[in-house]
Amino acid sequence: MSKSENKLASRRFRGFPSASMPSPSHPSAGLIRQGWISLALWIAFGILIEGFSAFRSPAYLDDSVRREMFRLAHAHGTLLNLVLLGAAICAHLNLIRLGPMTSLGLRSAVLLLPAGFLFGGLWHFKDEPGLGIALVPVGAVLLLATVIYISLTLPRR
Amino acid sequence: MTLRQFPKPLLAWAITLLALGTVAVVIWAVAPTYATVRAGRADAGYLESGDCRKCHETNYASWRATFHRTMTQEAGPESIVGDWERDNTITYQGVRSEMTRENGAYWMTFTGVDGNTQKHEIVRTVGSRRIQQYLTKTGDAWSRLPIAYDLVQRRWMHLNGSFFYPDGTSYTQHVAEWNVNCVFCHNVKAQPGLNWENRTWKTEVAELGIACGACHGPAGQHAQRALSPVTRYRWQFKDQIAPAKSVVHPAKLDSDRAAMVCGHCHGQRIPEPPQRIRSMMSVGDPYDPGENLREFYKPVQREDKVVSTEGPHGEKVNFSFATRFWPDGSPRLTAYEYQGMTRSKCFTAGKPGARITCISCHSMHDGDPRGQLTEKMKTNAACNQCHDKFSQPAQLIEHTKHSAESTGSLCYNCHMPKIVYGIMAAHRTHDITNPQPEETIRSGKPNACNQCHLDWSVNRVIAETKRLWPNAKGSETSDPRFDEPEGQRSLFAGDAVTRALTAAAMAPATNTNAPLLLEAMQDTYPIVRYFAANALAAQHPALPKPDYLAPTSAREATLQTWYPLWPAELRQAAREARERLSATRSETDVEVGE
Repeated sequence: MSKSENKLASRRFRGFPSASMPSPSHPSAGLIRQGWISLALWIAFGILIEGFSAFRSPAYLDDSVRREMFRLAHAHGTLLNLVLLGAAICAHLNLIRLGPMTSLGLRSAVLLLPAGFLFGGLWHFKDEPGLGIALVPVGAVLLLATVIYISLTLPRR
Repeated sequence: MTLRQFPKPLLAWAITLLALGTVAVVIWAVAPTYATVRAGRADAGYLESGDCRKCHETNYASWRATFHRTMTQEAGPESIVGDWERDNTITYQGVRSEMTRENGAYWMTFTGVDGNTQKHEIVRTVGSRRIQQYLTKTGDAWSRLPIAYDLVQRRWMHLNGSFFYPDGTSYTQHVAEWNVNCVFCHNVKAQPGLNWENRTWKTEVAELGIACGACHGPAGQHAQRALSPVTRYRWQFKDQIAPAKSVVHPAKLDSDRAAMVCGHCHGQRIPEPPQRIRSMMSVGDPYDPGENLREFYKPVQREDKVVSTEGPHGEKVNFSFATRFWPDGSPRLTAYEYQGMTRSKCFTAGKPGARITCISCHSMHDGDPRGQLTEKMKTNAACNQCHDKFSQPAQLIEHTKHSAESTGSLCYNCHMPKIVYGIMAAHRTHDITNPQPEETIRSGKPNACNQCHLDWSVNRVIAETKRLWPNAKGSETSDPRFDEPEGQRSLFAGDAVTRALTAAAMAPATNTNAPLLLEAMQDTYPIVRYFAANALAAQHPALPKPDYLAPTSAREATLQTWYPLWPAELRQAAREARERLSATRSETDVEVGE
């Protein structure tokens, strides 16, 4: 991009809040860090289960409970971390308010939900997920409560 | 205080709880009601396999792969396996049968020698492993048609080719009413629905085919309780006995009750007391898995007879089961495995409730569907569960007097020889015994030794037995027939079941027994010719296979290509043996109970 194009772009986005990274002390900084790191981990997990499929791993393909749990873990892990990153960006742009408790609730939920599916599939009963699945409803309730709280505390324009 | 003034965290939790409450109400509103399924009927509480699948996916999948599932099916492209388009005709005893598919429906058309024609629509199928039989519906009753499809030989056949009746038996001998008989064991919880007053039927079953309910019984209460995840996880940790879970798990029953679950169908039975037949035919099968089978039924034994002045059609019934057993009372047809096992020493010497049972060897959700045995249980490992000393090669050889790798050292071959017939195959007896060559002299029952040593006489086997196992019982006979090679003697002098089993044991044919098998192709029983033709074809697959159901002239034309393979003197000796031995044999029709 040329210097003149840069200027044009900066004029076009004049008034848009700073695109620089929030300072480490900003409430959204922790969310962004967790979001990207977790996203990377869950994408890596996705590659792992793709590898299981590609190389016909019986420990994965022949175990319908594990297969379903791992798929759900991967799907929830990646999507919820995208939500976490979205929330962090919104908070950084002052579109939502993220207090310490809200932030903790959101971060915990995003951690618990996919982890519940992962552990529920890693070790499980015949035709029934393992006890790790108990993390899922905890995470789901936490996520729902946090999202409702964020909705209730949206800044007024 | 207004809603806006309400503390936001509390408000958020209140809304969350409200949302969770709404979710709970919706789940409750759409929850299935299993506890009262089929209430008021004989099959109250019985679920269909699709319901069980929701929790037991792996068990559902393993059951789905079995022949139990496909025992009875609605007719359709998924279930019908016969060739209805190209090789779709068979003529037997002058009656031409043509199998056709018209507008998606399947039909059988029978044209008699007089030119009269009958056409029947196929509505259900029975069987999917060895033969597939076909049901048509007339009014409120289903009938089995006389033509079936042989799934092993891939050809159409008349049922006379499977059951023990000679050529010339009535063409419609095997047309049977499904509502009266087959319905009980080929489906879950049969309810024939016979109205004894006007002889009408309203037949229902919990599920077509042999599905979950056949072994696990009514599971409505179990499924209702299992709707709660808390209950399900409690079950996982607290391994309660089956009744506490409101469903039968055969492996958790005592061994005798577990055997009864299988024995309900794999042990032909008569109602106990006999008058119970009335409620069985009207209300339905009274037995549920887990119960004491003998409270409702008596497993049929050789001496049993059914005598009644009023059968389901008002007919007189006078039927003996004697021909279904060897003279010593050991079953010789399949579907009597329960009787076989319970008379064997493995069962009688055990402690009631904690002794050998069907699932000591068989697995319903594991292994090869052909026999429901895992690979391990096809070996001596099955018997070594109790007789573990024979897992040591030295002790095995000492016991069997055969090399460890020999078929003579496979426990099954000596203690469970193939002396039982069922649906186009020889099966292992479940009457687990020590080889009894003297029993062949006494009653004609085939013995384990001569199943392999077909060229040895019974007298030679007895002499060898006494030499190798000095404590063995029995002594030779002066009857010269038992100085003949037993394969030859039993192939021609035995009754039809013995002859068929001998022909089956001769597969693949050898140069020694092939001339005998060629002579066996003259047998008047199609099923004997079936095994003989298969044994010959296994030795010389390139030659045209004799058609066991074809008329004599057509068979003879095919056999002409076989005769030059062996010296004329060998064939002449075989012919003389047949004529000499068959002159004294018993010709007893056996009605196969499947």
